[in-house]
Amino acid sequence: MDTKLDILQGTLDLMVLRTLSILGPLHGYGIARRIEQISGDHIILNQGTIYISLVRLEQRGWIRSKWGVSENNRRARFYSVTKAGAKQLVAETANWRRLAAVMSRVLSVGPSTGARGGSSL
Amino acid sequence: MKSWLHMIWSRSLSALRRNRLDREFDDELATHLELLIDEGRAAGLSAEDARRQAMRKLWRPDWLRESHRDQRGLPFLDRLTQDLRYAVRGLSKTPAFTVIVVLSLALGIGANTALFSLVDSLLIRSLPARDANRLVRVQMTMAGLGLRKSMTGFPKDVFDDVRANAGVLEDVVGYSHMDRPTVTLEGSIEPLRQVDQVSENFFRDLGLSPIIGRAPAPGEDTAVVISSAFWRSRFGGSPSVLGRAIAIEGRLYSIVGVAPPRFFGMSLDNTVDIWMAPRSPGAQDMVGRVKPGVTIEQAQTAMHALLGRIGQARPGKIPADPNLITELVPAGRGFSQLRAQYERPLQALCVLVTLVLLITCSNVGNLLMVRSSGRRREVTIRVALGASRSRVIAQYFIESLVLATIGGALGLMFARWGVSLVLSMLPLPQIPAGLAFAVDARMLVFTAALSVVSALLFGLAPAWRAADVDLTSALRPGHGITSPAAARRLRSALVGCQVALSVLLLVAAGLFVQTLRNLTRLDMGFNPDRLIQVSVDTRSAGYGRGQVAPLARLLRDRLSAVPGVESVAIIRNPVLRGLSRARMDLPGVTVGRDEAWDAADVGPGFFETMRIPIVRGRPFTDGDVEQERMLVALSESFVKRYYPTTDPIGKQVGGNLEVVAIVGDAKLGTVRSPMGPMMYFVSSRQPDRFNGIEVRTAGNAETVAQGIRQVIHAVNPRLFIDLKPMRVQIDDSLATERLVAAISAFFSVLGLLLASIGIFGVASSAVAQKTNELGIRMALGASRWSIVRESLRETVLVVSVGLLAGLAAAVAAVQVSSKFIADLLFGLTATDAINIALAIAVMAAVAIAACILPTRHATRIDPLVAIRHE
Repeated sequence: MDTKLDILQGTLDLMVLRTLSILGPLHGYGIARRIEQISGDHIILNQGTIYISLVRLEQRGWIRSKWGVSENNRRARFYSVTKAGAKQLVAETANWRRLAAVMSRVLSVGPSTGARGGSSL
Repeated sequence: MKSWLHMIWSRSLSALRRNRLDREFDDELATHLELLIDEGRAAGLSAEDARRQAMRKLWRPDWLRESHRDQRGLPFLDRLTQDLRYAVRGLSKTPAFTVIVVLSLALGIGANTALFSLVDSLLIRSLPARDANRLVRVQMTMAGLGLRKSMTGFPKDVFDDVRANAGVLEDVVGYSHMDRPTVTLEGSIEPLRQVDQVSENFFRDLGLSPIIGRAPAPGEDTAVVISSAFWRSRFGGSPSVLGRAIAIEGRLYSIVGVAPPRFFGMSLDNTVDIWMAPRSPGAQDMVGRVKPGVTIEQAQTAMHALLGRIGQARPGKIPADPNLITELVPAGRGFSQLRAQYERPLQALCVLVTLVLLITCSNVGNLLMVRSSGRRREVTIRVALGASRSRVIAQYFIESLVLATIGGALGLMFARWGVSLVLSMLPLPQIPAGLAFAVDARMLVFTAALSVVSALLFGLAPAWRAADVDLTSALRPGHGITSPAAARRLRSALVGCQVALSVLLLVAAGLFVQTLRNLTRLDMGFNPDRLIQVSVDTRSAGYGRGQVAPLARLLRDRLSAVPGVESVAIIRNPVLRGLSRARMDLPGVTVGRDEAWDAADVGPGFFETMRIPIVRGRPFTDGDVEQERMLVALSESFVKRYYPTTDPIGKQVGGNLEVVAIVGDAKLGTVRSPMGPMMYFVSSRQPDRFNGIEVRTAGNAETVAQGIRQVIHAVNPRLFIDLKPMRVQIDDSLATERLVAAISAFFSVLGLLLASIGIFGVASSAVAQKTNELGIRMALGASRWSIVRESLRETVLVVSVGLLAGLAAAVAAVQVSSKFIADLLFGLTATDAINIALAIAVMAAVAIAACILPTRHATRIDPLVAIRHE
């Protein structure tokens, strides 16, 4: 159970950071709903794990939090991206795109096209 | 990098505010859940359906809280505190077990710490001076005739010259020990305060900064510095000590500073409490620092040349013998006679004390395993509920660490007592303060490290065993109590180790005890009973060359008149305090160039007083002394060696000495050294000093001793140093051997005790294990003997294997070490077979004794009860 979560946790961190950078200060529920909308329910997510991501991001100084009032008049913490976090997001996004590109190339190369396809690496 | 630091910072902070952060997260989750429910209701679901949908999206709140906490804070610390609390609770619920384990550990760790303290203070620790490793003392040594004599005192002007011109030696300081001064503080005499006279740059150049006050300024001859211990004991550590007056030998001085702690002068055997400026220009020892980049050899050559030049410029100040060499001996650890004497025994004891620790840890490990086998059900339930094996092992190991820590702390106390005890067994007038036990950083680190190592030794295996539960079988009834076969095997192995280690300790103790016995029963060649040896110091009492002979006669007459005194004799150096060496031409005999023999200067009546038999010839008489005849007596070994076929009596040796007697061999040097060739000179030439008086007594020793003291005090109170019966003198000279024998005997008894407890435990548990089977056998009519045999089978096996292992280990150990410890033994070699056999026999006997109770229990088993027993 733990290992499965860890992998998701890393990518979830990136999703949360991206969400906050686009939409500005949000509380946990707001982030969860946005991710739900964008991903079109393709991922099974325990929304509580977003808070784990939020702790991690805040520990690293990439986001900050402030207490505020939610739509239903309850106390809630609102999170927003810091300057360092914005820089981190740019770097992480570039990494992810590079990784995605490499993975797609590797996974599309068949046994017959080996000689030509992989030479640029 | 920065984000990583940020993370550590925020985790540490969160760990402190745990409860509040827990509540805040609960708030966040609650809010989130409510918002989800609102969303559901807004989409048209009923309250209940909305709630259900919400909980499908946000589930397992307990696990979320735990993960949040782990992510947030320092989970490691949380787990640690949890384990510590659990361990302490568990240990306090079984007080008997805890007390036994802590005491055993305290003994094992304490013994090691005590020995480490002695080894550190005597052999390892440097003086608290700056760059102590470069400090050296200047001495001139004459090596020859099998004896090395060093001269360390130099006159003041020589010291000044060396200081001014040293070159290779910088920061040269001078010091000399003052001879039993009278120290008075506010009118009352301070007994046993030792004083060193030091050059004005002593504290400054050695780098010893006074902790309060200052060092005396150049020329400030009335200023003194006192030691930290003196300051604390006599002045309560108060700063008001500065400026106080103190009188030394009648003159007033003012205390200007307090020396750093743990500094008691350059000699470890003394405890110097006061440092003052020299009252008169006497001889001083010189210590300096070798310049960086210069080797000792280079420095020695340079110093030798310098001393030569000074010797020529100041005739008579430096002896100019071509055989004298200049030495620079390391001074960084201070000087100590004790060090030379005890270095080897301490090394041997280090090995023994390690064995003791291993036995202790085996014992504790055994006890822990018994305990953990009783908690198997609890562990099984925990594992079944999801605890990981590593968690269980960690928690058991924390328990071991707690035990080891408490044991270590208690061990420090035991170590303090142990060191005091050992030091009090030394025949010294005063316990040197520099050797006393002191809890400093080094000691704490050592004890802590030892505790951790012990915990690893005894705790790891039981922890591993404890976590090894078979979930299916362990929860069935009847499996809560008895241990699985593997655990029992491990326990038996531990006990076998204890037996083997105890055998080793017994072998060692046997060697040292036997050595002591051999030495105390040795034939000394003279009669040591009812013989009192008096030490005097004619030189410091002020007697010059012409006055010594009349003093000797006077003392002899007066002492002979004391009731109870049979005879009196003067000897230049007291017996068992060192002999001189001599070498001369023996006409008709070839004497090798490097050959020499022991020699002693004795007065008339010596052989009669000591009861050394005169084989041929006549003893020395008063007449010989009066007429200044140059006579010698030879020992039997001397004659056997150099005059095997001729009679030396009447012959001339060494030019003008006449042989008047052949006497029996005697040990006057050390107890250990064999009785070799010896030559006695009668002190007929004008002696410059003597230091020993031998008195043969009859009657009450105390009254005679009193009488002797009175006579000497009446003649000159400054003469008397001390008075000891010869038996005590011999015992004192065997102090090292006595100490080693006592300590090794104590350890072996300890080891036997622990091993017997272990054997008892194994035997008891074997009987408990087999109760069922034994009951059946008894019901079927088996004889008592076969019951006993059956119940002890395993124990006998374990003990036998242990004995064999011990035998093998002992044989191997003595083979390897016989060369190393040969100098510690006397009258037997390390490989003495009888000693080893005796050790095995003792261990076997103890093992049998330990099995008696379990065996009786086995024969008393009621078959009906036993068959129902699980």
